[in-house]
Amino acid sequence: MAVKIESKNDITICRAEGEIDITSSPELKKTLDKLLAQKTPKIVIDLVKVTYVDSSGLATLVGILKSVRSYGGKMRLAGLSPKIKSLFEITKLDKLFEIAASAEEAIAGF
Amino acid sequence: MNKISVEAPSEIRSIRKISSEILKSLSPYDVDKDRLFDIRLCTEEALRNAIVHGNKADKDLHIKVRYWIETGKIAIEIEDEGAGFDPAAVADPTENSNIMKGSGRGIYLIRKLMDRVDYNKKGNTIRMEKALK
Repeated sequence: MAVKIESKNDITICRAEGEIDITSSPELKKTLDKLLAQKTPKIVIDLVKVTYVDSSGLATLVGILKSVRSYGGKMRLAGLSPKIKSLFEITKLDKLFEIAASAEEAIAGF
Repeated sequence: MNKISVEAPSEIRSIRKISSEILKSLSPYDVDKDRLFDIRLCTEEALRNAIVHGNKADKDLHIKVRYWIETGKIAIEIEDEGAGFDPAAVADPTENSNIMKGSGRGIYLIRKLMDRVDYNKKGNTIRMEKALK
């Protein structure tokens, strides 16, 4: 898995690629921890190039959201494939996260 | 397909190795990608539970996996050497009080995505089934 970080005005976009599972979740957490330490106010995690997420990946995203909320920041997910979105729906995480169809939509909504 | 048995050490890398073997065995059956996703996910979740929770990631302990296809469905059994657990006691991760927690979603997803899930009495073996079509 790879994560590229981009900034657009005051919004930070994290473009993840590959699989977010028990092996790669720590990498995602490590990358995001740097942004969380800086109390980055607006974060979009773009999952359009993510092909697989397991419960470790879901738990990692929940942990990141928890941290962002703890300092009053905002975070959105974007670009989920229908299959990955269904995992959020089954686990009711779609009620917890703000989910946009695309990174562009997530950015425009801030 | 005859019943295939695999034994592996309690290491995280065993998870992907075994799930890949199982998915590879399904290649002649023309299973759609969403079903393959579910079978992979549930296999990996069950393996992770067996390795991390069952065997406490003790590399001296092993997991045993058996899988086979009968009447259009795949059956997968995963056994660890741990003391077992009570699956009914696992909290519902979708409840408001649990939604922000990190654990419990693996078992929940298995229950939702597989057609049938059973545990042995001791709670150290899970058996899952999913139709291939």
